[in-house]
Amino acid sequence: MSARVPERGSWLEASARARVAGLLDANSFTEFLGPEQREMSPHLSLFDLPRAFDDGVVVGRGKLGGRPVFVAAQDGRFMGGTFGEISGSKIVGLLRAARDGAAGDDAPRTVLLLLDTGGVRLQEANAGELAVSEIIRAIAEARRAGITVIALVGGKAGAFGGGGIITACCSRIVVSRHGRISVSGPEVIETNQGIEEFDSKDRALVWRITGGRTRWLTGGADRYVADEIRAFREAAMALGAEDAAPFDLFRLQAEQSRLEQRLQVDGDSRDATQIWTRRGLDEPERVGDMTEHDFVVLADREAPNHDAR
Amino acid sequence: MSGWSKARDARGERMSAAASLAKGKIVEAADATALLERLIRPGDRVCLEGDNQKQADFLARALIKVDRQKVHDLHVVQSGLVLPEHLELFESGIARKLDFSYSGPQGAALARALDKGRIELGAIHTYIELFARYYMDLTPNVALIVARQADRDGNLYTGPNTEDTPTIVEATAFKDGIVVAQVNEIVDKLPRVDIQGDQVDFVIQSPTSFYVEPLFTRDPASVTETQILMAMMAIKGIYAEYGVRRLNHGIGFATAAIELLLPTYGESLGLKGRVGTHWALNPHPTLIPAIESGWVEQIHCFGSEVGMDDYMRARPDIYFTGKDGSLRSNRMMCQNAGLYACDMFIGGTLQIDLDGNSSTVTPGRIAGFGGAPNMGADPHGRRHATDAWLKAGREASDGEQTLVRGRKLVVQMVETFGDKMAPAFVDELDSIALARKLDLELAPVMIYGDDVTHIVTEEGIANLLLCRGRAEREQAIRGVAGYTEAGRGRDRKAVEALRQRGVIRRPEDLGVDPLDATRGLLAAHSINDLVDWSGGLYRPPSKFRNW
Repeated sequence: MSARVPERGSWLEASARARVAGLLDANSFTEFLGPEQREMSPHLSLFDLPRAFDDGVVVGRGKLGGRPVFVAAQDGRFMGGTFGEISGSKIVGLLRAARDGAAGDDAPRTVLLLLDTGGVRLQEANAGELAVSEIIRAIAEARRAGITVIALVGGKAGAFGGGGIITACCSRIVVSRHGRISVSGPEVIETNQGIEEFDSKDRALVWRITGGRTRWLTGGADRYVADEIRAFREAAMALGAEDAAPFDLFRLQAEQSRLEQRLQVDGDSRDATQIWTRRGLDEPERVGDMTEHDFVVLADREAPNHDAR
Repeated sequence: MSGWSKARDARGERMSAAASLAKGKIVEAADATALLERLIRPGDRVCLEGDNQKQADFLARALIKVDRQKVHDLHVVQSGLVLPEHLELFESGIARKLDFSYSGPQGAALARALDKGRIELGAIHTYIELFARYYMDLTPNVALIVARQADRDGNLYTGPNTEDTPTIVEATAFKDGIVVAQVNEIVDKLPRVDIQGDQVDFVIQSPTSFYVEPLFTRDPASVTETQILMAMMAIKGIYAEYGVRRLNHGIGFATAAIELLLPTYGESLGLKGRVGTHWALNPHPTLIPAIESGWVEQIHCFGSEVGMDDYMRARPDIYFTGKDGSLRSNRMMCQNAGLYACDMFIGGTLQIDLDGNSSTVTPGRIAGFGGAPNMGADPHGRRHATDAWLKAGREASDGEQTLVRGRKLVVQMVETFGDKMAPAFVDELDSIALARKLDLELAPVMIYGDDVTHIVTEEGIANLLLCRGRAEREQAIRGVAGYTEAGRGRDRKAVEALRQRGVIRRPEDLGVDPLDATRGLLAAHSINDLVDWSGGLYRPPSKFRNW
């Protein structure tokens, strides 16, 4: 009967700027192309839609546990965190800077992508699609140059559309319970395939399929963390401290065979509970409802063991 | 047919006509429409149980299939008109007259049907008012009701959603009417008996479980900082000031914010045990943190709420429960408790005019009232005193009255601009325009201005009890109406004078810093947090999950 007030510092509730501030070492962040530069979308005004001074993306450099990093954070609250001409270019530019070892001797070897996105911004779809492609290429080139690219997914918009594909291209993925990772959004699937295929109003189903817990249990993420900025910071620090794995043919083949194997084992599943059952979890139907603490204990026990990604 | 038992004789004829369809009291679902055709006669008053939450949906679907030659021109008397089938009765001519309370999701369809002349409208009632008329001039001839389980003698178990059923059945069964119940299942032994079998004539097991809408679940994730600011002002400027212990909350996000601030902000003000101890309230999930923190002594409920069953079962000190352990709700009783035994009603609205009248009618939508007008009315029949009630009475009387009378606190909480930036403060309520258009005798006003004691907006609190005369009230209302036309039309001097007298109080007058109004103050930030607070006993419906 004590007054338990949940801890502050929820990743889900924080703005992009609050996430960056809480993720990095205190006061270490320097923003590139900040809101004072007013690099806004050239398209939204045509639709009579409000613009944002940063176009919904914060990019810059800072320190994480004393090590230099580049960071890009989408704000899911502005236009669903979508990739547009400006917001996409900011991320592309940041990844290319990492690839080129920009910033001299103290060049960051890690890029943190704080994804919170519904995918391409429909109002500037061509530019957005191009941006997604360019980001994927830039990630591949950066990884080839020995840069570790870490995706952090725990925002309200999740990582959908191109954001889901980009996540899968990263060196490492950190996810929380609320973070959804997928390509086609639930409403899109329902519209195209019918409610029998996917009921987008059934939120428990949506999270069971696309949410962080299932993504983690099926190898779609490397770290599962509680919904706290602090927890994301700790995971990013640990992953950033690892040596970047070589991004070569062997790794791509390993990823390909991991995915093939997963499809073979789980391809006929109709719901995540079937997958959880196959993983031999004691109470598969409870996975969604377990407390964060219980699940983290389970998560550690079931930690994925593969050299793919 | 003559003498003193015409209704009983008519009942006997209908029962005999239907007898061949029943085995004992049990009728097959496939025979439901045939049964209704034999029981219901043209012009009958029919209550097709449509409550605030649970719906006799199977019987509604059966009724719209009747032969219109046999059954037509019914007079529908039920509190909730919320299923599409309810309106179809009127579109098809099966029903003609309507007396009801609440239409919620069918508000727009109802307004269209009225406009087209499909419905002959009696009145839009408050709950108690309609129930009262069941015993006066609107007694149902036939009641089509809904329960979870029945036994073979017709005893019914309603489960936590008892709601209107006892009130409907009492009026119908004891005035020679006929009661037909749809149930999810027929069992040998009921967990408890909510309705006596000898008051029930027929029982039908429906092919699917009856529909219940989760109406009172507010996701803490959607509470805004403006609502938190208003909640802080209300707690400090009204709850603490009057020491309100017995109350009812509306269902909006602003009052949900109050519920979530009690264990944090309320605790910091030292209010635990001094306010919010006794409630007439549906099982709001957002009250769980306050309950778990020991704020609440007891709660009586109008209805139930989807997902709260196990939690309430585990908290019998707080909730009214049956011998089976599950909640027993009762809308009639709880409405009475809210009317006579609460010292405060606080809730939201959509529009307030410059006399303080408020309404939830918007152009083209008649949502009805439900219980708000009962909760939000000063009951002149009240004869017991509490500190909160007396203090409000003293403020209203200006200390000149020798005969002291109390006042119920009726508080309207509203952001100056609502959905789609529609101003909450208006010169004329949309309901008055609608009444003119539809030629209604009474404009559907939810709470009359002379019952409203306080208006809380993000700009401050207007205490209407302290206003003397209509002109002062108007300036007090304009004085908290922000940048709406009504707010900008204020007489600045008059408003400043009211502020000096404490009639209008800004956040700073209350010692509330708007910068403190952050989501960090909420005892729960998400539905998931509420589940955690309940120790996993609260099981939210799927539509409220984000995990």
